[in-house]
Amino acid sequence: MPLILNEMTPLHWAVGGAAIAAVTLALLFLSGRRLGLSTGFEDACSLVLNAPYFRRSSLLGDRDWRLQFIAGLLLGGFLSAVLGSGWSPTWDLGMFDEVIGWGAGAKLVWMFVGGLFIGFGTRLAGGCTSGHGIFGISNLELPSFVTTATFMLAGIVTTNLVYRAWFQA
Amino acid sequence: MVLLYVFLGTVFGFALSRSGAADYNYIQGMFLLEEFQLYGIIGTAVLIGIPGVYLLKRYGRTASGAMLIVRGKPRHRGNVAGGVLFGIGWSITGMCPGPIVVNIGEGKLYAIAALAGALTGAALFGSLYQRLRRPFRLPALQYGTGDG
Repeated sequence: MPLILNEMTPLHWAVGGAAIAAVTLALLFLSGRRLGLSTGFEDACSLVLNAPYFRRSSLLGDRDWRLQFIAGLLLGGFLSAVLGSGWSPTWDLGMFDEVIGWGAGAKLVWMFVGGLFIGFGTRLAGGCTSGHGIFGISNLELPSFVTTATFMLAGIVTTNLVYRAWFQA
Repeated sequence: MVLLYVFLGTVFGFALSRSGAADYNYIQGMFLLEEFQLYGIIGTAVLIGIPGVYLLKRYGRTASGAMLIVRGKPRHRGNVAGGVLFGIGWSITGMCPGPIVVNIGEGKLYAIAALAGALTGAALFGSLYQRLRRPFRLPALQYGTGDG
């Protein structure tokens, strides 16, 4: 199956997985930091919000490196498009367009609602796919096994409801 | 060091973009149990990560010679409750936190709405932290729920 992005052929999964592991281990060895991206939402909040949760020193002390890493993510996605048949703004959403078929406005609402679940959920869980799923499991941490199993299961149930019960091709 | 983090993030973002980890169809295929790709990516990363983290911890130092201390994430009821919410959100958007940013970089406009939602959700969580602490047995405010 081609990627939505410029219909490129994806890398082999072993290459993608090895690259992710290489960055995770390089980050740990070069800076002593554990990979984890969802705290970046709190880092961004801490730039503008004054709630005590966003003023704690454990957050502010780790803010800069993570925001720099996240700036890299933005650049990585941009370069991936530029170096692969070019960058252009798009609304393409693959099977969502084929099966559900909502326009741009409804897509924005759908994505915002999904984002609310992600922002609130990852912070309640104390991590996401990277912090729990990759790093936490690599470090054999019990809460990470529990959290990863839970969000995988919740994703499986939700996608099956959306594409096998509510909307069908 | 700024360049190091930007560089590592760029490699990470490029890998997510090109492997399908930031692709709506591949995420839905994973959750429909129809596509092996994402299981292969995460499985490979963890199979390399487990011995890698073990060896680095045994070595005990970073490249600069500083002590390497890996603090584990705390265990609390938010792991399951938040995991359920996050899984729903990952399925709805087809993006987990890193790929939201990668998708914006790729030029996918709807990902901006996902980011706005995620920031709103995190802001809401942080503002309600003291009220959520007891029901979810969360750590004291100065520690938070776990970084990453």
